[in-house]
Amino acid sequence: MKKIVLITLVLTTALFASLKVDTTYSTLGAITKKVGGDLVSVTVLGSSKYDPHFIVPKPSLLSKLRRADLLIMNGGGLELGWLPPLIQNAHNRNIQNGAKGFLDISHSINMIDKPVAVSRAFGDVHAQGNPHYSTDPHLVPIIAKAIAEKLMQLDEENADVYQKNLDTFTQKWQEYLKGYDAELRSCKGKKVVQYHELYNYFLKRYGIESIGNIEPLPGIAPSSKHTLELLMKMKRNGVKTILQDVYHEKRTAKFIAQKVDAKVVVIPHDVGSVKGSETLEDFYNMIANRICK
Amino acid sequence: MQKKLLLSLFAFTSLMANSETEALKEQLQSQQETTQKLLSRVEMLEAQQQSSTNTSASFSQNAYLPDIAMILNMSAVYRDVKNSDYANYQVPGFVNNDLTTDDDNAELPFNANRGFNLNYAEFAVHSVVDPYFEAFAYLHMHPSELEVDEAFVTTTSLPAGLRIKAGKFKSAFGRLNEKHQHSWSFDEQALIYKSLFGPDAISDAGVQLQWVAPTDTYIMAGVEAFQGTNDMSFGYEDPNLFVGYLKSSVDIGDDLSILGGVSAAHGKTVTKENSNIYGVDLTMREQLGSYSALVWQSEYLQRDKDVNASRDSQAGLYTQIVYQYNNNYSTGIRYDRITKNEIDLSSYAGINTDNLERYTAMVEYKPFPMSRLRLNYSHDRSKIIDGARQDINTVMLTLNIAAGAHGAHSY
Ligand SMILES: [Zn+2]
Repeated sequence: MKKIVLITLVLTTALFASLKVDTTYSTLGAITKKVGGDLVSVTVLGSSKYDPHFIVPKPSLLSKLRRADLLIMNGGGLELGWLPPLIQNAHNRNIQNGAKGFLDISHSINMIDKPVAVSRAFGDVHAQGNPHYSTDPHLVPIIAKAIAEKLMQLDEENADVYQKNLDTFTQKWQEYLKGYDAELRSCKGKKVVQYHELYNYFLKRYGIESIGNIEPLPGIAPSSKHTLELLMKMKRNGVKTILQDVYHEKRTAKFIAQKVDAKVVVIPHDVGSVKGSETLEDFYNMIANRICK
Repeated sequence: MQKKLLLSLFAFTSLMANSETEALKEQLQSQQETTQKLLSRVEMLEAQQQSSTNTSASFSQNAYLPDIAMILNMSAVYRDVKNSDYANYQVPGFVNNDLTTDDDNAELPFNANRGFNLNYAEFAVHSVVDPYFEAFAYLHMHPSELEVDEAFVTTTSLPAGLRIKAGKFKSAFGRLNEKHQHSWSFDEQALIYKSLFGPDAISDAGVQLQWVAPTDTYIMAGVEAFQGTNDMSFGYEDPNLFVGYLKSSVDIGDDLSILGGVSAAHGKTVTKENSNIYGVDLTMREQLGSYSALVWQSEYLQRDKDVNASRDSQAGLYTQIVYQYNNNYSTGIRYDRITKNEIDLSSYAGINTDNLERYTAMVEYKPFPMSRLRLNYSHDRSKIIDGARQDINTVMLTLNIAAGAHGAHSY
């Protein structure tokens, strides 16, 4: 009996999962599942518990890329430190930059925080603007649309299905956002600090002010001088919330919290980073609840 | 434009000045903020407009410039052996700097001097050529010469998981052969690689075909044909070197990954006799966090080389553990050993040629992903100097800088 179930499972997967889609991060993966439905099988390359800038290029990722029909990447330089050699060594012509099965979502996003001057003297700055856009729930429909359009292009036969999935999803999401935005109105004007500029899209969307970062410069570990400066700034501004991601050390945040009587909240940067953020809705709800309450 | 905004703001302010509510004041405050934002936006847009009108030179091709990185590698070395003696060291049965005249043996390009060394300035250039090819070049500028370390093209559009590489490149034999000096975990070359191939390992003009299997488990197979100019192991005047390998990797859970490989190389020596080299390698990596990992890597190489119709059989291994504590610090230890040396060693009569080995330890500090300071200590028991076995202790502080295009991190 078990065997039969397994066999049918394998068969149905083989029959219906016509497109193999790899996404670099889990939020993109979750959106792809919404739009692609049963017609795609999604593989997420980078674990959401790790720093998205430094995904370990394990050889097993090569075998995942080798068979992909479509590679969906975040873009904006976020994958610069790990993805290029994987693409070079996976030997898959479908997903080369410029090929039909290559999609850079950042091309559909209005990137914020574009630096005026780019030099590594300022740390490992994101030269193309802040690539951490997946924390803004209002960008989800834009991302979904870009993905749907690409799927329609790759799998013309099922274009209607993707369009229908997209419409249904977008409608539901707009509905969800109404309630979401209403809840967050009370949070406008709140002041926070964060470790890296991971949450700027969300904060900007809801009028929450980020008055500083724990890292002195992007990609540089905290220094006592900078931490003291940040402490003073937090005191001056009455900041009581520190946004901590899951992958950086938490000592500095805890130290600061103690000094200024603030609280440290761990905010997921991608779907599934924190337990209880495994669906898109749970992910965005958790961000809102933890920052706002 | 700015004036108008200010004027309307002023009018707005005077109109409202007499009304009494705090709420209005607050509204005004936000109005002012909005105006301020608008003003700065206007300024920004104006600035953008100006700059965008005069940047596009008629024949500018800047957008097509290749990615360029500059890597500098330098060191300060203390060694308890004089430079002139060190330059003549021998590894019995393998390296014989005294007797040979060929360049491969005589070369001591990295950290050769007690004192200060600029090992090289490397220019790494990469560019997409067209929809079918990518091109790479790694140029080493040594203090007195320019060396093309690698320069090759790879295909990007072959079907069925195939890729061809052609040019001068490092063979993917084993685990270490392909790695550049600055990406080694220790500053000195693994003893068995140094002993069999010299500092550049198998790096030659040739062509490579690699295939990645369409399987859940990573399986990669490759074959290569080279000119075979490395006369420490090969060196016949015609193309003579063929390399093949099979690599595979599995993950156990999210954080433990294992990579293993078997490799073989078949070539002809200067005297057109067979030289076969076999290798096995195993790497286990446990990820302890985004910036923390424990990596255990080992490799065993064996060479069977025919010399005057008799067969020399030699082998060696290294095993190393590197612990990356966080994004700034890591540390590691390595053990090197020649395990087999079945060769005519009569010229070393009276000298102990057994137990050729080396112990190495290092601590490295990376203030930033692009720069690395490393303190490297080795106790080397594999060398003969001036007709006597001599242990060598070396302490070196090396600085490696990678500026420019972002080099991706390798596994
Ligand atoms: Zn970032």
